[in-house]
Amino acid sequence: MILQDFIALSPILDLGAFCLVTMLAIAFRRNHARIAVCAFLSCLFTLATLPWAATVAPRAVTTLLVVDGHALLYMGLILSATMVIVALSYRYLNSQFHEQDGVEEYYLLLLLATFGGLVLTTAAHFVSFFLGFELLGLSLCSLIGYLRTRRNPLEAAVKYLLLSITASAFLLFGLALLYFESGAMTFHEVGVSVKQWQTVPALWLGGLILVLVGIALKLGLAPFHMWIPDVYQGAPTPITTYIATVSKAAVMALLLRLATEVGILELPPVVHLFSLLAVVSMVTGNVLALLQENVKRLLAYSSIAHFGYVLVALLAGGPPAAEAVTFYVIVYCAMSLGAFGVVTVYSSEGGDKDRVEDYQGLFWTRPWLAGMLALSLLSLAGIPVTAGFIGKFYAITAGVDAGLWWLVLALIGNSVVSLYYYLRLFVTLFGEVAVQEALPQQGTVQRSEFVSWTAVCSLGFVASIILVLGIYPEPLIQLIRESVSNLLMVVAQRP
Amino acid sequence: MLSLLWLIPVLPLAGFLLLALCGGRLSRQHIAWVGCGSVGAAAVTTALVAIDFFSLFPAREFYQQTSWNWIDTSGMTVGISWYLDALSLLMVAVITGIGFLIHLYSAEYMAHDDGYARFFAYMNLFVAAMLTLVLADNLLLLYLGWEGVGLCSYLLIGFWYREPEYGTAAQKAFIVTRIGDTALAIGLFILFTQFKTLSIQQVQSLATGAWPVGSNLAMIVAVLFLIGAVGKSAQLPLQVWLPDAMAGPTPVSALIHAATMVTAGVYLIARMHHLFELAPMVQEGIAVLGLVTLLLAATSALVQQDIKRVLAYSTMSQIGYMFLALGVGAWPAALFHFLTHSCFKALLFLAAGSVIHSLHHEQNIFKMGGLRRHLPWTFWTFLIGAAAMSGVPLITSGFYSKDWILWSVWSSPLSHRWIWFGALLGAMLTGLYSFRLIFRVFFGEVRTQPTGESGLAMRLPLVVLAFLALTVGFLEMPHTLGNVTLFSHYLSHALPTTALLPGMDESSEAREQLAVTVAALLGIGLAALLFLPGSLFGARGTDQSTTHPSMTLLQGGWGFDRLYDRLFVQPWFAITRNSSDMVDRGYEWLAVCAESCHGWLSHTQTGQVRWYAASIAVGTLMLLGLFAM
Repeated sequence: MILQDFIALSPILDLGAFCLVTMLAIAFRRNHARIAVCAFLSCLFTLATLPWAATVAPRAVTTLLVVDGHALLYMGLILSATMVIVALSYRYLNSQFHEQDGVEEYYLLLLLATFGGLVLTTAAHFVSFFLGFELLGLSLCSLIGYLRTRRNPLEAAVKYLLLSITASAFLLFGLALLYFESGAMTFHEVGVSVKQWQTVPALWLGGLILVLVGIALKLGLAPFHMWIPDVYQGAPTPITTYIATVSKAAVMALLLRLATEVGILELPPVVHLFSLLAVVSMVTGNVLALLQENVKRLLAYSSIAHFGYVLVALLAGGPPAAEAVTFYVIVYCAMSLGAFGVVTVYSSEGGDKDRVEDYQGLFWTRPWLAGMLALSLLSLAGIPVTAGFIGKFYAITAGVDAGLWWLVLALIGNSVVSLYYYLRLFVTLFGEVAVQEALPQQGTVQRSEFVSWTAVCSLGFVASIILVLGIYPEPLIQLIRESVSNLLMVVAQRP
Repeated sequence: MLSLLWLIPVLPLAGFLLLALCGGRLSRQHIAWVGCGSVGAAAVTTALVAIDFFSLFPAREFYQQTSWNWIDTSGMTVGISWYLDALSLLMVAVITGIGFLIHLYSAEYMAHDDGYARFFAYMNLFVAAMLTLVLADNLLLLYLGWEGVGLCSYLLIGFWYREPEYGTAAQKAFIVTRIGDTALAIGLFILFTQFKTLSIQQVQSLATGAWPVGSNLAMIVAVLFLIGAVGKSAQLPLQVWLPDAMAGPTPVSALIHAATMVTAGVYLIARMHHLFELAPMVQEGIAVLGLVTLLLAATSALVQQDIKRVLAYSTMSQIGYMFLALGVGAWPAALFHFLTHSCFKALLFLAAGSVIHSLHHEQNIFKMGGLRRHLPWTFWTFLIGAAAMSGVPLITSGFYSKDWILWSVWSSPLSHRWIWFGALLGAMLTGLYSFRLIFRVFFGEVRTQPTGESGLAMRLPLVVLAFLALTVGFLEMPHTLGNVTLFSHYLSHALPTTALLPGMDESSEAREQLAVTVAALLGIGLAALLFLPGSLFGARGTDQSTTHPSMTLLQGGWGFDRLYDRLFVQPWFAITRNSSDMVDRGYEWLAVCAESCHGWLSHTQTGQVRWYAASIAVGTLMLLGLFAM
């Protein structure tokens, strides 16, 4: 390893070092606020190393990792999202964490999960892929059950544990089969051997499908989606946000790299498989969300549908697909942070506010909070002037350019269906104020305490992203375009 | 200073935003300051821009400015860009100048209304939209302004929304003009598909090059634009909305439904004159349409009982004159009549508003009378307005503009003799209905006791407008009288000059002018005979609410409302009543389907891990079986 390798790896090394610092800080003195700030700064400093790392990108560091524009872009997304989640977590944990002590390790686990996410974005080898995957999954598992004396988080954690072990088992077995047929462990070499084959061996294809099932489980694509609503509902809301944004974005980054380097989208069976998963995910997610009365579950189902949309964009193939997918993932993260962020902030007041009726007439009591949720919902529904519209527009354009008419039609039809439940929640926000809610809250201390500056800053940041990307997406599109060409360039350059 | 051009529409828009966002927190005085101030500032900016524009005027005929790239996709670039030439500067000057006077008037007229801030917000938005319309460099921006003024017209007609009738009137205006708007939009689409640009100047130069005179496409586009203009300007057959639009507050009628918005059609045709010159048949149609409208409206104005409806019909009739002038190719004459009409019609509406204000919102002229002594300011200004509208010779502006139109109709190669006779009859009727109002409202015995003259903010605009109604005519005087050609010279840089038939000399012009003078005076004389109390027939007809069928026909504006009701509205309601279920059933079925799917799928979410694991296993096996085998 030479200096340039260190520079390229600086984000990962930096975050790893900060994990140790955080651990030591906890060991010496426990202080919730201090550790939260430490975690926030860890992400911020790591974020600051990205431009530095970009000076040597694209660069392969050992055979395990590749640091290129694609990886750095997703790292930036993951770190920013983690920062927002850390900012929202502090007050949430203050109000919800009732155990004797041990609230500080939450942030350590969060950093470790993010570390896993960073590894996933750079992974170019089955081993690094698996390491990142497990690091992310295991940290999340303990985070989901972090409110350890409650029933729901524990149930969700056990479910997540069992099902992610299942995913890992599929993944490992699939990787073994891939290695057995192609004799290689890096994505690139596997891709080379695929090109040499006249017909793809059935065992290799089977292995690939098992790997994809593992990925689909993490992304929550139907029919591997069933854990999603239960875990989303049970987990502490900041962690739900984390699963919806960081975890999925990292896995999506990996899938994009896998798809481009191995060239799996040129294999007809894989295309069919993805098409099937896309359509089933869209339909299942949207239909299940229709009459859902729990906001967290509703957003969980909607996330299933949204990753169906992402798959449609992915299937378009080539640079436009990679662009559309990355744009959509970024936009989706912003919208989810907005929607779940509101649930987090609202729940920080005491008691999980996750039923639709809790939001009845929220606009009249907390206009800014309701406005934020309304903006996120409109964006999720893909209404113009919000980022969601541009994302969906991009996905549809990519699909149309590639001639995927059926998938595009399915996407459009499903968008129409999805309007129903987004608008249902939207209308609820502006409905009549529930009687028991309206009176006692006014003028109490709770309220002034509740509008914390961290919440205002983080939600304001997310809102501005949603609006700016909806009105002026050009700069981000340029950035993505460069990162995508970067991704494809690495593929072309390597021997 | 020319670079300030963009500020002219932006200032009223800023006023609108300020009033809309925090109008509720401002005091009434501040609201009035913001509302009038923004339009006043726009007027001052216009003056500054005009000074700069004139400094280089004949050498530089137009000035273009792009503020912002609005739309820029493959093959279509539309900017928020402004275009100032002699024509648009004239329009802007009228809109901001008269607009400011009317805003000032409203500050007192609406002083006790609950929706003070809302009123000024809408008015400012209207001015911004109207300025966008006339300053737009491309058709899409023009269309934005076009729709904007339509929206504001809707909002202001229905300003007192608690009265269901007013709401209906607002909807009627919106829907009827929408027919024209749709035609205009289609015309826009055709132009864009043909020329791949929406810039007004480029489209026209390309069209002149590509389309021969009288070609089908040129005719179709011209007809579509004409329908748009007809809808906005309340000409036949889309005129039915204007009388009902009088439901709005009187300053609204003065600004929107007399001085500015309803003349947008005239502006559109003048702006697109190259296009209309490619379609001579359509142009002839404009003349005929204008003539028929002016006669229909003038006869209806004769028998109305509501003071504002009389003025509404008279507006329709005067715009008919403008269309007539456009139709015979007398472009500058049409714009000159627009200028004088804006002054005297705004004056008439404001004076009528003053009457209504002092009579506790009484609008029936048969309940008025003898106001001459009680409201001297109002009486004299109203008299000047009515004289200008009737075209009292030499001293009023209306005479010069109307005479120019009639002379053009007489002398134009595009015209016919019978059109001129029709227009002359219209001139006579104008004098008749204008002075019918004067004699009914201001003479005879007092029927409703007035509260007295209104304050300075209302009187000042009246005086200024009265002055203008007398004097703007001197900008352009015929050969026989002084031969002043300031206006036609000025507009010749934006519009083609009027062609003359051979053999038209000063003696024939003098004879023609005599005829116009006689017609106007005859109308006024007839009015005096018929309606002046104490004159020959003046004692009779104190109450004109006769039920003679011809009378009701005229009062209802020749029965167009009833015709459209039978022809379109009733059948449409019948269709919607009968077939709504059949169409809805399909959608309902979809909803039921989705709901039952939801119920069915919900059963799969059992919450049991074993079932989840099993479904993963089955799913994987299925995928393996489908794609790996």
